[in-house]
Amino acid sequence: MSKQRVVVVGGGLAGLAAAMKLAESQVQVDLMSLTPVKRSHSVCAQGGINSVNEQTRQLGDSEWKHFDDTVYGGDFLQHQPLVKEMTEWAPRIIDLLDRLGVTFNRTPEGYLDRRRFGGTLFKRTAFAGATTGQQLLYALDEQVRRWESEGRIQKYEFWDFLGPVIDDRGICRGCAAQHLLTMEIRVFPADAVIIATGGCGLIYGRSTMSMACTGSAASRCFQVGAKYANPEFIQVHPTAVPGADKLRLMSESARGEGGRVWVPRRPHDPRDPLQIPEDERYYFLEERYPKYGNLVPRDIATREIFNVCVREGLSVEPDRQCVYLDLTHIDRHELDRKIAGILEIYEKFQGVDPRDVPMKIFPAVHYSMGGMWVDYQRSADGGLVLNSPTNHVTNIPGLYAIGECDYQYHGANRLGANSLVSCIVSGLVVGTGVETLLKGLPHGAAADQPAALFATALSQHEHMHHQLLNRPNGRENPYLLHQQLGEIMTKAATVVRTNDVLDQAYGQVSELAERARHCSLSDTGQWTNQNVVFTKALLDMFPLAKAILKGARMRDECRGAHFKPDFAPEGISEGSPTERRQQAEAWCDRFEEGNRRWLKTTVADWRDHEPAISYEDVDVGLIPPRPRLYGLVGAEVIEDVWRERSARRPAQSSQGSAQGASKPQPKPVGA
Amino acid sequence: MANVSPADSSSQPFLARHEFLIRRLHSLSGLVPVGAYMVVHLLTNASVLESPAAFQRNVYGIHSLGRLLPVVEWVFIFIPILFHAIIGVAIIRGGLPNHGSYPYARNIRYSLQRASGIVAFFFIAWHVFHMHGWFHADWWLKTVATPLAGAQFKAFNATSTAGSAIQQHWLVSVFYAIGILACVFHLANGIWTMGITWGVWVGPIAQRRAAAVCTAGGIALAAVGLGALGGMATVDVEKAKQVEDRMFHHKLEAGEVPNDSHKRTDGDHKDDGQPADMARK
Amino acid sequence: MNAPSANASNGHSVSASKSDHPEFFQVRVLRQDQPGGDCYWQRYRVRYESDMNVISVLQRIAAQGVTMDGRAVAPVAWDCNCLEEICGACTMVINGRVRQACSALVDRLLADNPQEIELRPMTKFPVVRDLVVDRSRLFRALQRVRAWIDVDGYQDQGAGPRVSREDQEQAYPLSQCMSCGCCLEACPQYTKIEVLQQAGESAAEAQARTEAAYDHGFMGAHAISQAVLFNTHPTGQMAASQRLEQLTAEGGIQVCGNAQNCVAVCPKQIPLTTSIARAGRAVTVWAWKKWFDR
Repeated sequence: MSKQRVVVVGGGLAGLAAAMKLAESQVQVDLMSLTPVKRSHSVCAQGGINSVNEQTRQLGDSEWKHFDDTVYGGDFLQHQPLVKEMTEWAPRIIDLLDRLGVTFNRTPEGYLDRRRFGGTLFKRTAFAGATTGQQLLYALDEQVRRWESEGRIQKYEFWDFLGPVIDDRGICRGCAAQHLLTMEIRVFPADAVIIATGGCGLIYGRSTMSMACTGSAASRCFQVGAKYANPEFIQVHPTAVPGADKLRLMSESARGEGGRVWVPRRPHDPRDPLQIPEDERYYFLEERYPKYGNLVPRDIATREIFNVCVREGLSVEPDRQCVYLDLTHIDRHELDRKIAGILEIYEKFQGVDPRDVPMKIFPAVHYSMGGMWVDYQRSADGGLVLNSPTNHVTNIPGLYAIGECDYQYHGANRLGANSLVSCIVSGLVVGTGVETLLKGLPHGAAADQPAALFATALSQHEHMHHQLLNRPNGRENPYLLHQQLGEIMTKAATVVRTNDVLDQAYGQVSELAERARHCSLSDTGQWTNQNVVFTKALLDMFPLAKAILKGARMRDECRGAHFKPDFAPEGISEGSPTERRQQAEAWCDRFEEGNRRWLKTTVADWRDHEPAISYEDVDVGLIPPRPRLYGLVGAEVIEDVWRERSARRPAQSSQGSAQGASKPQPKPVGA
Repeated sequence: MANVSPADSSSQPFLARHEFLIRRLHSLSGLVPVGAYMVVHLLTNASVLESPAAFQRNVYGIHSLGRLLPVVEWVFIFIPILFHAIIGVAIIRGGLPNHGSYPYARNIRYSLQRASGIVAFFFIAWHVFHMHGWFHADWWLKTVATPLAGAQFKAFNATSTAGSAIQQHWLVSVFYAIGILACVFHLANGIWTMGITWGVWVGPIAQRRAAAVCTAGGIALAAVGLGALGGMATVDVEKAKQVEDRMFHHKLEAGEVPNDSHKRTDGDHKDDGQPADMARK
Repeated sequence: MNAPSANASNGHSVSASKSDHPEFFQVRVLRQDQPGGDCYWQRYRVRYESDMNVISVLQRIAAQGVTMDGRAVAPVAWDCNCLEEICGACTMVINGRVRQACSALVDRLLADNPQEIELRPMTKFPVVRDLVVDRSRLFRALQRVRAWIDVDGYQDQGAGPRVSREDQEQAYPLSQCMSCGCCLEACPQYTKIEVLQQAGESAAEAQARTEAAYDHGFMGAHAISQAVLFNTHPTGQMAASQRLEQLTAEGGIQVCGNAQNCVAVCPKQIPLTTSIARAGRAVTVWAWKKWFDR
């Protein structure tokens, strides 16, 4: 056992959760990260972490309802066993974090305080101010540091993952990585490699993501045979603050704490927003979605904001798209207690106090629901077989993916405050699964592989590195190419997608990828060469960018964050009740037809330098898909029709409804 | 992977191993006895403002310790000051003042604390030499201290000797003023930082209040110190000496003081039995 | 994502014109090619755009790749990640003051000094290259004070201890420390420790020597504050004496000189000096007990 090692790539929430879980089980872990793990992108998560809790339970909430909200919010595109498992673990995950010392906000009685987040009617979200991700990451970072001081975890910070080492049987035996300071390339033999490198927002140039979120690690696996699923599902967060270098997130918790989104009814009303009377304000989310109000799921809020600005021309400013996110009606002390962190960000970067003046916000690329394809083992009750080494393994044995960089849990749209749960759950799940794997090692141990395997991998990566450094200087500037890539992707593959723009973008990206091969390096040194590291990451953005565009191009429907107006179902027009009913029937027919055709996972394979797309069925065995309307005004008739249709169908899946699933048996969080 | 444990490595040098204790003793010694002594010293000296006799009376009070006095001086004053000074120098060497880049009031006080410590160190060294002479062995007084204008203070001629020592040159008063102010600042600010170090005032509001109190105390003590200096600088030395001699003879007759030539201006005539000025009368 | 007009990435096409700004401004960067190497100044000219911060300035410099006198040079190396002042990576000395590059807005820097913006690496940490420094000593200090909670394990054992709102509100600010190093850079008592690998010495040996040197140096305000954070947590408290032991070891709290720069420069406004005073009180009591209770 002592010679067995596991490499965890990425030190965000998922990677740290996996590392600490493995370390607890006596496994020797090499933890690799581009930055000191405490600086990982998880720190940027703001709002909170979801779970059913004692307060919501009293109001009729349950794990099952959290599960239902999640798949409904994700437009049914996720495999349900994982989501079920996640929502059942969620309360225990929060208990664990609580024990680890996370400074969650408290009720006057000393229990965890909760707030409401998008896509649910329950106050499920535990939070630590408005820096919940930071607080959670630090708690796990501390645990990892504890194991580090005991020698159980060896950190490799400032190391760039270059790719898995795969033997001729197609099994992952470790990975190669490069030190960002000394530029040394090294291979790390390992019995399992766990990729936990987060999203790929930098493909869009500016997004809410951190500079490390290039997607390069996932892309490097993709290019050597790992499948990449649902690439086209990119979440655009409704509320961000535009900046020259980055679009800074303005958490959903601002709305969770009562923030209201509005625009003046008169376009570009020049008045001070506080002087605009209530009846001249258009609270468009509240008017259109009275049930959920400002807390509709993100894809819907984003589209509505986009529409109000672009189609209806009601942007607050004439020369820039934005809407008001208004907190000025809320008590300052309350704001400071609960969301000071994000208000300070706004204050620091915009120079305006959002407690006094409504914020100006606009959507920004935020999260990648898609990611590396990973497997799971379904249990008899529709959950996961815990301890199974199949959970979260990619199509390459020994190579695992967890956290944002896998494609599970969130389907076509992620609900706010669910990502922190999914990261930690997947980290703990993979920890127990890999522990089982190490006990069996069906394909033999990495330590027993011929040295030549690793030596070859090393020399290949060294060769590639030197080739990049020594090739004749082209004229292309990698930083400018990156800017152009970001512009193309932002235009083609965000809120609104059309096939002609996607086709055009694919051509442009292919051309950019070709030009990128002639990048000129302004630094060819062998010490802390950020230029070559960036260029490598840039080169690896193109395969994912192509997969995103191609996935989006081929999916001719609307689902969650993927919205194509050309394939959008028609709404219900005004008319007599009979007409409306007919329209609703037709709507439901198209909906069912759409699901038969498109309720499938997009799976991308890298073949001959192009992504090849295929489709896989989605496990929707527990909760059947239903129209996703969130109580949209004017669409009630569709819900009526759908209810009647469901009632006519044999009752196959109502067994797990709220009461049935009441309180699950306690299950060890990690064991 | 090496464990982190500087706390239990017994191979470290003594000073490193006991850094905490030494620093805390340094902090404490600044208040007690050094700071406390300084307050008493300045208050005593300021009694010259009342009258030379009052000051002389106080000095007699101190010197009633007799043979124990040098022991007390060394144990409770000189050694603590030396300890405080030497550790202080080590502390100063371990820091890099940066009030240029970060000109915040408290940072400036940090730098001033170190500057005033150095000034105080040299001042006290010179002041003790100037007045006390450092050692009272005859050979030292004869061959070193007196020739170098040290050891000028004579306890039984307290006011006149101190006064004339100060009045030697106007620069002496200037040096004393600087030295006293440096010591007072060092003590007042030192008490404030000590309160943080020992955890007496914790929160920012408490620390601000403490700073106000220390400032007020410092100003008061500076007034006392400068008052004492002013008193010494303006006292009529001749008159004072007459008073002192009268007092001395009373005490001598009452057997309350030894006839210690080291403590008198005219000590050389100790067999004379009659003070010179009395004889002149 | 961004709407068409807000989408300008090579310069904002539009912006609320904020009076007269120069078309270009100068940036002076203190560069150093490798650890222990010589440092030298280089000047760059950057085109002014609205809403720039120092990160975007460095991005422009990297993209243009030439100095003010037109010489092609390797891009300046710097550290950054989140760009919203929460990861702590991009700390550097800007116009003489330590802070995060991402929240250093060009408009304000130019308002203070219209001539140029001066960028230097932090001075208390070994320079790796240009503006990149090695802050591993900072993380090492977190190991020293055992800045974690020794839970029994990660199984389900129910909720954690109940915590009053007041205690949470006291702990939360401390737990916001992002290990950026500002408090250490500004601290006059925190001095640089740089151990260079010697000829014939392996990287591991040099590493061990470095760590040993770090463990004797001052731990700094951030670590003291973390010790206080964990010593006030109901579970963390159980290991309080171990942390106090470390706080009173060489390089512990006694090195603090009460200059209080830490609290003045902390970008998260963490009450570091309050933590220091609280730790001071705790070690006073603890040391007293240690010496006289046995």
